[in-house]
Amino acid sequence: MVILALLGPWIVLALVAPFRRPVGLVTSAQGALPLVSVGAALTLTWTVLKTGPVSGGWPDWFRIDPLSAFMACCVSIVGAGTMVSEALTRSARTRASATAVPATDDERAARRVATYGSLFVLAMLAAVTVGNVALMWTAIEATTIMSAILIPLRRTKASVEASWKYILIGSVGIALAFAGTVLAYVGFAGRMGRQEHALDWTLLMSVAPGLQPDLLHLAFVFLVVGYGTKAGWAPMHTWLPDAHSESPAPLSAMMSGVLLAVAQYAILRWKAVVDLASGGAFTDQVLVVFAMLSIGIGALSLVLQKNYKRLLAYSSVEHSGLVCLGLTFGPAGVFASLLHILNHALAKSASFLLAGRILRRYGSPDIERVRGLLRAMPGTGPLFAAGLLALMGFPPFGIFISEFLLFRAGFSSGHVRLTLVALLLVGIGFVALAGHLVRMLYGAVPEDVPPGETERRGLAVMVVCLLGLVALGLVLPDAVSGLISRAAEANVL
Amino acid sequence: MDHVFSHVAVLGSSGVLLCGIILLWRRSLPSYITAFRWQSITLAGLTAGVAYFGEDRNLYWVAAMILALKGLVMPRLLERMVRRFMADSEVRPYVNTASSLVISGVLVLLAYAAARPIQALATSPTRGGVPLALGLIFVSLFVIVSRRKAITQVIGFLMLENGIALLAVLGTYGVPLIVELGVFLDALMGFLVMQIFVYDIHDTFSTIDVDVLNRLKH
Repeated sequence: MVILALLGPWIVLALVAPFRRPVGLVTSAQGALPLVSVGAALTLTWTVLKTGPVSGGWPDWFRIDPLSAFMACCVSIVGAGTMVSEALTRSARTRASATAVPATDDERAARRVATYGSLFVLAMLAAVTVGNVALMWTAIEATTIMSAILIPLRRTKASVEASWKYILIGSVGIALAFAGTVLAYVGFAGRMGRQEHALDWTLLMSVAPGLQPDLLHLAFVFLVVGYGTKAGWAPMHTWLPDAHSESPAPLSAMMSGVLLAVAQYAILRWKAVVDLASGGAFTDQVLVVFAMLSIGIGALSLVLQKNYKRLLAYSSVEHSGLVCLGLTFGPAGVFASLLHILNHALAKSASFLLAGRILRRYGSPDIERVRGLLRAMPGTGPLFAAGLLALMGFPPFGIFISEFLLFRAGFSSGHVRLTLVALLLVGIGFVALAGHLVRMLYGAVPEDVPPGETERRGLAVMVVCLLGLVALGLVLPDAVSGLISRAAEANVL
Repeated sequence: MDHVFSHVAVLGSSGVLLCGIILLWRRSLPSYITAFRWQSITLAGLTAGVAYFGEDRNLYWVAAMILALKGLVMPRLLERMVRRFMADSEVRPYVNTASSLVISGVLVLLAYAAARPIQALATSPTRGGVPLALGLIFVSLFVIVSRRKAITQVIGFLMLENGIALLAVLGTYGVPLIVELGVFLDALMGFLVMQIFVYDIHDTFSTIDVDVLNRLKH
């Protein structure tokens, strides 16, 4: 039942969103339905913590343990935040326009974002809640398709290029992940015979200690390259800056905020299986390489960046690398990584939504063009500053805590040199982001940019996200840390 | 019986891989599509063969879906695309034919090395073909990076999917049917979206050479 309430609203929204009128009803649905899904995710989490994993669907396709519940919360919150902010902006626009139904390009674009965006969230939620690795793969593949459709929303040379690179690299990557899944299944079938439920996490975990390590290592390499492509890990990250910067803001917010996290979730699950078969050494070695490359390339690319949406995208590569690094630091590291996923989801999706507003006002994605942001947009400016400060890892925002925990886990698990290098790289990223931010905030507003904030209601969501981030930074609520530590425990040796 | 079965498996997978390698020395888009079509048909035949010898009814359905989707529908759609871009149908790869063939040979050897853990583990009569499936996966990746047309990249991707399907059939007589259905649905949707994007590229840049996709850097 609760699972239906989690997924159902997105199906309904995808069916309703294409309609042009009554515009009021459609926008209210867009604002209200996602909140139902958030409520369901929270209820599910509560049930899971109280009574243990929940199964459901027909015949038990879904299985929700603490890790799934945690991811479902992240995805539904970011999805709902994006949709509500879209709905608020739309209703503000409708009010401002003279006719009842604004038949503008903006409206048409908004309808497509609502339709495919909800299918996109649906696929992500399905990916983190199904109990079968292969069905999870199908859902993640569907996320690629649903998000790719939205990139060339306004067809320009740049967006066509970005969409092509995204769908090609994304599909090839995810195909390799399927090859890895098949290889793992070969290992399973070689030992246990072929079974319909062989690819369920629970069964896989229970027989994993007896599986042949060499074969699982081969499978894991395919899986990491495959899902790592979706997680934006270097050197497979090349699609990410293009896709995230050319997408419409709501899509960038969801892709950077939670799509990367869904791929990381898949790898965390598989790592647990492979570790049971062969001890943790092999998977850690593989992941460390991708982690350090991602942090390095992400942080260094921030320095010479000229485009603020690409700036945010490269920051995602860096943070995705940090999450990957945390996975190799034992139980404390996995805890920090999961907390980091939540913090990053809030900070990055708010920042991308704000970047979308800045782009609309200044008409250019160049950092060079954006001057005097604080004066030109008195609401968006300070919030954008707060978002970037959060991404840099400033207290009192939550990312400060999760990065602190992550590095502490690194030192205490004996990876001193590695952690120092990562710290240095994060420091470089910090300085680069700070420099770009200061240049955007101050200076003379270009003459063709009208000062003053419009469509103020759209900001509400970003305010809530950032307040949530501050709350996570000041006091980590017991409920959150309890959920994350339960989720981490089950997936570490 | 097992003896015949293993011959059929190796013969069939060699055929599938060979279609992928034939593609490397062809020069025009229509012949690429022909190679892909025959590869899919061979794969469907092999799947039916495994269904017969392995006594697995579900695999007949999979074979039928491969034949319908990848042997008939997708090549048709690809041909329609190529007809639209008639003037632009010579492939001009980045890597010339001779080097392409040498590289694909090396890739197949690499696949034999990588597949050792499976060879050691599996007892099924189909295990002889597994390295060939991995080889096809590597060769398809090479096709994607070494050919410059958007359509050749799509064909490379479809061959990659064929390689994975081959791996699943040989390794475990296919994955559970429900998964197979999901995979086909995704493959079809992904292909349709790619097709839209190829038209987008053609309309925006008036060519389907992916060389022109070079504005987004750093």
